[in-house]
Amino acid sequence: MVLKNNLKEFRQKKGFTQEELGKNVDVSRQTIISIERYRYKPSLELAMKIAEKLNVKIEKLFYFD
Amino acid sequence: MRLSKKEISILIEIVFSILFTLIFLPYFYKNQDTTFFLSDLIGKGTEIIIFVVIYFSIAYTLLEISYKNKITEDERDDMINSKSYKLGYLLYELSLFVFIGILINSSINQNGEIIFLILLLLLIVSVIKSIYQFYLHRTF
Repeated sequence: MVLKNNLKEFRQKKGFTQEELGKNVDVSRQTIISIERYRYKPSLELAMKIAEKLNVKIEKLFYFD
Repeated sequence: MRLSKKEISILIEIVFSILFTLIFLPYFYKNQDTTFFLSDLIGKGTEIIIFVVIYFSIAYTLLEISYKNKITEDERDDMINSKSYKLGYLLYELSLFVFIGILINSSINQNGEIIFLILLLLLIVSVIKSIYQFYLHRTF
């Protein structure tokens, strides 16, 4: 089982750039890129911050494939 | 290939290690048969300190001019740092064993050889650690 996410899709829907979303949740643009490419698994705290910022439930944002 | 400010700062460290190897290590290599006293090392030490100050001042000034944004340290950076410093720590341990092994198996009479060996091992470990850190930043 691989942890995947719909971050790119939800981020674009909300009109955020990677840089803007990163600034909103106190991480770098590179961290957002890594999460979107499934390279980096964020901590629960960061995942919840992102979900809150994008106004989406965390289980819709992150899922097992 | 677009590099982030963090990646450039790691490259600055790698370039420093390479320059140090090219500029200062040959002196210690050539003087392995010498017994250094503190007074001998003060001159070379001063040269090294001046070089370090000038190099990092120029490099980081240029970096700050090119990249205006501040480096954001986040949990991914912490994880990359912990991985690379763990590797660095293991390599330092290994190099200590290598160093002790060389000391036991050879009859080193001059401290010049010891100084050269220590500098060489420190530089190798430092470069490997920085390259691994850079690799993680690019791929993780």
